[in-house]
Amino acid sequence: MASRLLRAFGLISNPLKKTTNNNNGLICQQAGMVLNLLTSHVPVTNIVRSTSFFNKLPAESLWKGVTSVSNAGRKRGRARAIGKKGIKNLNRGQVIGIGKINMQWPGLTSPILRGRELIQQHKLPEDPEREAKLIQLRDSMTGFKKTKLSPIERGWTGDKMGGRSIGPPDPIGEDTFEGFDTRVLEFKIVTNMTGNMGRKRRTSAFVITGNGNGLAGFALGKALDSRAALKTAKNRAAQKLIYINMYNNHTVLHDFYCQFGKTKIFVTKQYEGFGLVCHRAIKTCCEVIGIKDLHAKVEGSTNLQHIIKAFFIGLLQQKSHQELAEKKKLHLVEFRKENDYFPTLIASPSKVRTENYVSTTEIRDFKQYVLGGKIMLEKRKLPPFFVKQKSWMIRQRKQEYLRNQDKVRLRMLAEHGELRSFLTDKYPEAKPRLMNFKSKRSAEAEAE
Amino acid sequence: MNMFLRKLNTFLRNSQCSSFIKYRAFSSKVSETGSERDPAPLFFNEEIQNLLYTLTRVDLKKVFRPQRDGQQMEPPTYKFLTTRELEKAMKSAKRKAETRLQMPPVVKKRSEVTKIISTDPALESYDRCNYVFTDITYGISNYDRLIVVREPNGVLRHAKWDERHCLNQIYFPMPGREIIAPRMFEQEFLEDLLNRQEYDFVLNRACLQFEPNDPKYIEISEKVYSIVNEKQDFEILRSTRHYGPMLFYLAWNKNIDNLLLENIQTEKIEDAVLFTKLYHKINPTASSVDIAHEGDDIQYLREFVKSEAANKGKLEAAILSYKELEKERQSVAKGIQKAHGIE
Repeated sequence: MASRLLRAFGLISNPLKKTTNNNNGLICQQAGMVLNLLTSHVPVTNIVRSTSFFNKLPAESLWKGVTSVSNAGRKRGRARAIGKKGIKNLNRGQVIGIGKINMQWPGLTSPILRGRELIQQHKLPEDPEREAKLIQLRDSMTGFKKTKLSPIERGWTGDKMGGRSIGPPDPIGEDTFEGFDTRVLEFKIVTNMTGNMGRKRRTSAFVITGNGNGLAGFALGKALDSRAALKTAKNRAAQKLIYINMYNNHTVLHDFYCQFGKTKIFVTKQYEGFGLVCHRAIKTCCEVIGIKDLHAKVEGSTNLQHIIKAFFIGLLQQKSHQELAEKKKLHLVEFRKENDYFPTLIASPSKVRTENYVSTTEIRDFKQYVLGGKIMLEKRKLPPFFVKQKSWMIRQRKQEYLRNQDKVRLRMLAEHGELRSFLTDKYPEAKPRLMNFKSKRSAEAEAE
Repeated sequence: MNMFLRKLNTFLRNSQCSSFIKYRAFSSKVSETGSERDPAPLFFNEEIQNLLYTLTRVDLKKVFRPQRDGQQMEPPTYKFLTTRELEKAMKSAKRKAETRLQMPPVVKKRSEVTKIISTDPALESYDRCNYVFTDITYGISNYDRLIVVREPNGVLRHAKWDERHCLNQIYFPMPGREIIAPRMFEQEFLEDLLNRQEYDFVLNRACLQFEPNDPKYIEISEKVYSIVNEKQDFEILRSTRHYGPMLFYLAWNKNIDNLLLENIQTEKIEDAVLFTKLYHKINPTASSVDIAHEGDDIQYLREFVKSEAANKGKLEAAILSYKELEKERQSVAKGIQKAHGIE
């Protein structure tokens, strides 16, 4: 009866609602009151659908849906994600009735009768090894797990082999390569088309080995297996050791220019503490050889094997200071800034030419002489793009009053041991504070 | 017209200069107590300067040793030189070394400036602070610059030394010199530096920070010299510009035992004899002046030690052991010659 009544009201209220929209507000208010009264009596029901793929499909196919990829998906490369997820079957190793709490259930986990005695359901002491065993089982389910390398052991970039160390070469008979280290310079897959097999893949490894004391050698190794490629390359490199002369055990003897194919390198000798500023492959070579300070600019092709070959050619073609002096028949004199440009005689030839025998056209400049007359292009460093912008000017203007602040701060710390202002004497609480992250942190630490 | 202007200019300049010279006379007047001897005339004596320079034993390698003073390093440069060019380069390096080894002057302590120019009671309590007037005309040395102070009580006086230091540093900053003296010259830090044998560093910085007649400079340098003497670390200061002033200090204070001992032990007999000469130049009234040098250095030194040294036993023992060593060496040389059949 009630429902019928409601329906009747609904019929009345709907046209009313429509009319209210385009009629005056007075009616609208009345209609609204009526509607509120009506809705409060409508029972709210939740829609429940009792069927879904969860209860339609068996567990096996659900499991398959999560852990596998369709063939079409596999072709699009989705199967790669499956391996990464490391999906494990958590049911493995678990038996019904045996859990964290070690209960004995007669008939399920134990026989009902032992002899004539009826076994009661009771709790046994916990098995501490159960959890560890389960974890071990689950861990063994995943296949190959990549170990995370420390940033030092890591190569030049991310996951790649380039720059990574692979240890000393294998000993030959009684000769062990003590103190040697091998670094991968290039590691790639190379292919070759054959008549009957089509594309044949192999791994190519280009490595350098050395003792960090002037002795080094590099070689290329190829094999079907990557590990075998590395090993052959490493052991082959050990057979091709070259001794490289260094200046004071830290840098090259002199600047030089070297070339292999279209790869050209300009190498500059540097002072102690300069570091290795060059291509990463050259840097790795230098580390293995034992060169600590050097600048090198690669021009032309950056084919990695060519770079290494060019660099080694250059290193081998270096001349000792005595040889240079002998060739030029002039004294070789060194000037260092830290010695206030005091002339230090480095090498003297057996017979020195006098001024009359030095032609005006020959190259007297040492740098030009050792570079073979080549001149390295030194590009002017351009100012960054933002200095042309107006916002940069505004910032500069705003920052101007801070220009000597760091120096003032340093001087204050040296003279007074603290930061002070002109008010600090009179009002000790008037101490300027450094409002940066570091000081904030230290202040917090002090407060604690 | 032009000519006239130039003359006027020179006249003006001269007139200024004369006033400064007068000023210097006011300010740097040595105290009238006169009890202390003034080392300056002796130190600047040409013979003594020559002796000090010779005894410094210039070693170019040490003079131009690598300076690790925070400068940006540069890769070394090389040159191909003929023998004549090399000699020329070495000569200019020697000249450079001479300027680098210029000895800091040994002078008397300066006295406080007390000269009052005028007293104007009408200005009394006009303000609560001092007014300092500095002549910042170009081309006057810091020492001659006219700096005066008007005090709140109306007294106009010449600035005191520390005020002069401060104002000179403000208007004409000298790179490396600080307005407030670095804390390394305070007792505890200085002690630490001297324990680390950083004598050269301390003396160089003191030279930069203080004027040579500043009591603080004299105090610090004398402290360093006495510690060097005590520890016999003469080798560290040798061939630096502070070796001469140190010798002067030792001879001046008649504290010669350790230096002579070191000289004899390291077989620098010539140096020891030269030092005795220096000693006589500085102390002409010493009793050993009459000892005649008759060709034999060792004999002469022995006699000198007898009359002048405080610790005679040690020095005589050193001389004896040196003599024996020399004798042995001669016999060995003779033996070698014999073995070679030279005789």
